[in-house]
Amino acid sequence: MAFVAYSAYGGDTAMNPEMTENTLYPIAVLIDELKHDDLSLRLNAIRRLSTIAQALGPERTRSELIPFLDESIEDEDEILLAIAEELGDFVEYVGGPEQAHVLLRPLENLASVEETVVRDKAVASINKVSEGLTETALETYFVPMLKRLHGADWFTSRSSAACLFAVAYPRVSAALQEEMRQAYGQLCQDTTPMVRRAAATRLSEFVKVLQPEHVVSVAIPYFNYLSVDDQDSVRLLTVESLMTIAKALTTEEVGQYLVESFRSLCMDKSWRVRYMVAEKFVELTKVMAPHMSKEEVITIFTNLIKDVEAEVRTAICSQIPGFGELVGRDDVLEKIYPCLKELVSDPSQPVRSAFASHISGLASLFGKEATHQYLLPLFLRLLKDDFPEVRLNIISKLDKVNGVIGIELLSEQLLPAIMELAEDKQWRVRLAIIEYIPLLATQLGRDFFDEQLTHLCMSWLGDRVYSIREAATHNLKNLTDVFGVDWAKATIIPKILGLSNHPNYLYRMTTIFALTTIAPSVTPEVIQSSILPTLEGLVTDEIPNIRFNVAKSLQVLAPIMKQSTELQPLLESQVMPMLTKLSQDPDQDVQFYAQCATQAIQA
Amino acid sequence: MGSSDLDRQIRMLRNCEIISELEVKELCYKAREILIEESNVQQVDAPVTICGDIHGQFYDLKELFRVGGECPDTNYLFMGDFVDRGFYSVETFLLLLALKVRYPDRITLIRGNHESRQITQVYGFYDECLRKYGSANVWRYCCEIFDYLSLAAIIGDKIFCVHGGLSPVIQTVDQIRTIDRKQEVPHTGAMCDLLWSDPDDISEWGLSPRGAGYLFGESAVKSFLAVNDLDLIARAHQLVMEGYKLMFDEKIVTVWSAPNYCYRCGNVAAILEFDENLEKTFKIFHATPQEARGVPSKKPVPDYFL
Repeated sequence: MAFVAYSAYGGDTAMNPEMTENTLYPIAVLIDELKHDDLSLRLNAIRRLSTIAQALGPERTRSELIPFLDESIEDEDEILLAIAEELGDFVEYVGGPEQAHVLLRPLENLASVEETVVRDKAVASINKVSEGLTETALETYFVPMLKRLHGADWFTSRSSAACLFAVAYPRVSAALQEEMRQAYGQLCQDTTPMVRRAAATRLSEFVKVLQPEHVVSVAIPYFNYLSVDDQDSVRLLTVESLMTIAKALTTEEVGQYLVESFRSLCMDKSWRVRYMVAEKFVELTKVMAPHMSKEEVITIFTNLIKDVEAEVRTAICSQIPGFGELVGRDDVLEKIYPCLKELVSDPSQPVRSAFASHISGLASLFGKEATHQYLLPLFLRLLKDDFPEVRLNIISKLDKVNGVIGIELLSEQLLPAIMELAEDKQWRVRLAIIEYIPLLATQLGRDFFDEQLTHLCMSWLGDRVYSIREAATHNLKNLTDVFGVDWAKATIIPKILGLSNHPNYLYRMTTIFALTTIAPSVTPEVIQSSILPTLEGLVTDEIPNIRFNVAKSLQVLAPIMKQSTELQPLLESQVMPMLTKLSQDPDQDVQFYAQCATQAIQA
Repeated sequence: MGSSDLDRQIRMLRNCEIISELEVKELCYKAREILIEESNVQQVDAPVTICGDIHGQFYDLKELFRVGGECPDTNYLFMGDFVDRGFYSVETFLLLLALKVRYPDRITLIRGNHESRQITQVYGFYDECLRKYGSANVWRYCCEIFDYLSLAAIIGDKIFCVHGGLSPVIQTVDQIRTIDRKQEVPHTGAMCDLLWSDPDDISEWGLSPRGAGYLFGESAVKSFLAVNDLDLIARAHQLVMEGYKLMFDEKIVTVWSAPNYCYRCGNVAAILEFDENLEKTFKIFHATPQEARGVPSKKPVPDYFL
């Protein structure tokens, strides 16, 4: 073919005149690489297809490059995917929207291949390209392409066709629109489920472009075919379009055409369908509510909460607060609460986890007394759950409860449970609690925190497990950020300094770690009056591990000190003498880290 | 090999990624230079944390460091059996060896009965090297290093640490110092016994059901301690469900550091911390939970599979 004949290094005069020899060469290489045996080189060339097209100019791109790509259909899927993607942005390179239709031919082929990701990309690119097409081009090129895809023997083309209706429909003649509406109906009743799935997925977007008068006559029947499809994978896709159609209809029409379908989807025999309903339950109920009794809605909701499939129960948990708002407190307490209570001991951990995340959302609806009476007992149970995730989900949402029942009551009820976890035998449980302490701190406020939790935070510094001690130091830094330097100075720093005399080197080391970690969060004054003197005292520690950690700490402090005018002089007068002493240490590790720190200061 | 190269290798090994065969060769060369200087009975200063069998359970070794502290901040003495049985003998041994080369004063490795050519060919280390590197060269380099590992250690002149236990042909620590250790573990004799023996409720000595080493009793332990002016024997070598076990009036302790041994025994593991005054604290730990193990990284298949 013509394109191949040009090959590389051609330097044909028809090329853009402004191209110089220098820019020509890499282009020639790219063109050659389009046909290279090596997949990665071909892929690389495709990724730079726009560069090639720019060099060729619009006319040759249309007459040579596009036909060449059209013949590349037998290539690896990876290449096809790349071509499909690149062509979506190719309108400007073929000469603008008036010429964009030439892209449809290769994209049509790509929209028919076996591999789904290639088809999806091709469909996306066709939609992108078609937005710029003139109405004539739509009718001359796009609609015939759509007809070919729609009428193809193999399901792949028909699936792609379903995705191309919405973009063209508003801009073609009434006669063609009529044809398109019928054609879509055929896809909804296609023999292969893959095509029906595509039709179900795209029904929403097709409904959005339909004229109001056609929604009832066209969309409703199509929805009805799909929502009773014998494949659950098709039915579950209709939940989305149920919402869209409902929005396009009047309230009476919703009652007349959709409520029955909603009922049957809620009770579908496949859990995957019920899962889709559960996920969007509040949104759906808001639309359907005028046509159903409150009792009925509540019954459906409680059935989903008691569903046999854990996935469905997990999904409906996210709807609890929203649904509570919808039906009001009294009904929740009377009719829903008894089922909610059961979820606390649900056998599935993801269900309990989701429940723990969302149950606190009911607090504001319940108000102080009911929260205390009904919700707190559930929280306490969940706080003792075997799975850390469940416990953490409760703790991380406590601010919602705090706002309703007040800090006093919350602490009285929940703190003992939190304290118990904070001293759990498993260090990972303790670690999980530590990670939530800064969050609790912001929720509980400083006074309260000091009274109840500061002691605990300090005790972690002396934990038996290294990782807990390490986490404890980070926790103290975070708390300093929450409560401020004055608090740190009065509350935590004295306790940290106290550990520097511990008889066990591992705990003395914690002092160094803690001081180093909080250094960025404290004032220069604290560094000067507390941190440096303590480190200085540890320079002569008997244990080399302590001494080299002093050097490591000084290396971290150096950049902080350099930025402060008060501390800068101390680098020379205090820090360097310490490091000089350490670099003459008999232990080689102490020497090494002292030299590292010295270099960092001098750099 | 500069310290920055070594630091990079340690970072990779901590992530359970293997280093190249050439890097292993260089690492072993460096390690040999350090180990050759060490005595058969290495003197170790307190404070130090001692650990028992690891057996290639890399992620549980990481848990050990999470509980005990990272090297070099915490000093460690590992009492052998780094390899075999677990899935990550290569990463485990190379990490410990790289730490030894980087921080020779902070970590001590002594030899276990599995640090042997014969045993590793049966219990997995050889096969793992072949699978991960496509040749047995890494196994050969490592086995050569095994021959240089110390046979025992003494902490602060008071605590005698050895993989297996005592030998009827050895009365004094000095006798251990005279062994020529740079060889494959023999089938009999003092060197073999140190790596293979087990304590048992007998008076003096008995035959070991393992077929190598001996069973030794309370009086053997007490007389060895008395003759050598020692307080305690610390050893590994035997699975203990509770992680550690004291025997004979707390004169001998077994420390086991492979939790849920062979990924199915259901035991907990322990390490033993001696502080600067030789006060001891046992720390118990469990197997690393599945979610903290990370997805095994996909490695290119060695050429011989193709």
